[in-house]
Amino acid sequence: MFQHLSSKRCLAFTVCLALSTLLTAAPSVAGSRILGTGAVSAIEGAAGGGLSPWAVLTSTASEGELSVTASATRAWLDDYRLSVIGTSVNIHDRMEFSIARQTFELTTLGGELEQDIYGAKARLFGDVLYHPLGIWSAGILHKRLVDGTVPTALGADDTSGTDAYISASKLLFNAFFGRNVLVNSTLRNTSANQGGLLGFGGDQGGRGWEAEGSVGVFITPNWIVGTEYRQKPDNLSVAQEDDWQSLYSAYFFNKHVSLTGAWLELGDIAGLPSQRGGYVSLQAAF
Amino acid sequence: MRLTGIAIRHLVLTCILFSVLSLAGCAQRHDTPTLYERMGGQSTIEAVVENLLYRIADDDEVVSYFANTNIDLFATSFATQLCDISDGPCQYEGPPMDRAHQTMGITDAHFNRVVAYLDAAMQEEGVPLSARNDMLGRLAPIYEDIMRLQ
Repeated sequence: MFQHLSSKRCLAFTVCLALSTLLTAAPSVAGSRILGTGAVSAIEGAAGGGLSPWAVLTSTASEGELSVTASATRAWLDDYRLSVIGTSVNIHDRMEFSIARQTFELTTLGGELEQDIYGAKARLFGDVLYHPLGIWSAGILHKRLVDGTVPTALGADDTSGTDAYISASKLLFNAFFGRNVLVNSTLRNTSANQGGLLGFGGDQGGRGWEAEGSVGVFITPNWIVGTEYRQKPDNLSVAQEDDWQSLYSAYFFNKHVSLTGAWLELGDIAGLPSQRGGYVSLQAAF
Repeated sequence: MRLTGIAIRHLVLTCILFSVLSLAGCAQRHDTPTLYERMGGQSTIEAVVENLLYRIADDDEVVSYFANTNIDLFATSFATQLCDISDGPCQYEGPPMDRAHQTMGITDAHFNRVVAYLDAAMQEEGVPLSARNDMLGRLAPIYEDIMRLQ
């Protein structure tokens, strides 16, 4: 779907769309769920923090409602730049489908890696606000590298792969100085190297379970600040891989527009050490 | 002289003990206020309920559930429930939540909307954020009761 548009044009389009929505936001077309309960768009397209998919489904669509989101994300690391554009749909707060195109520019080494990610997530049971056990969801992320030459040369077994995950999210009311706290944990079965950008599997291993978690405090109903952690595999002997972590701040202007900023610590990537940097993501929901 | 010394020491100890005890007494008297007090008491709770009802009246779908409801009775009953749940001097003796809402066909969307109206009403009536969060947290388990017999 994004093949014919350059990612820059798509990014500009998404930004314009989001900003015009911000100015003309009509509450009547928003979903019925409470502001912020749809989280933001994670870098793989599913609703989540930034690094990890969460159990909540995108936007604020509730029972009997439909909603579509579009997002644009950019991360500036020491030697790389990641751009993601994505879109997702929430059907009756039961199913979420997402598509994302990641472009990973190797600003130091030269060149770029691209992959498309097709996601589906189903709410199994519960609710992030009302259920004592929170909300539980299961999902898959099918990833396909556009050009697998570099990952294959580095020793990756495959140029496409599928992650499967189970995730739980729960809002704890009045849990921290009178503020609500959102906790999430995700267990992911994956063989993806650096999320799939460096292919799937390798000489040091293949598919395995990885744990991810986050905790955030809603300073106000519109503003959440938190941290996220994502365990990663380490399948390629020539390119050591580290766990990812972030400090994030997400602001929900209304049910239509959110802006997320984060500080990323992604460790070694493709032979270049301790990659750190900033992250900005804009999401619009209709 | 030695006896005097011991007596003074006892006196000092007694004083310290006494002041510690009275401080503890003070701390107990200034116990953390109840949610009812932090909300602003009965007048605020009644204003919140009225504010909520105006918001519900503007929602065509939700208001239809109140077609056969005595609104004054509902307002009094709900205010009593909020007073009770926030540790105020009230005892809710109305029907249980599952029976009160049975087979009405309430969806998650309706429930979510009423929660949003209640929070907005509390905000407009000047209830501080921490008290709003506390109240919503105490009301959250009611979801299961209300949805049980839909």
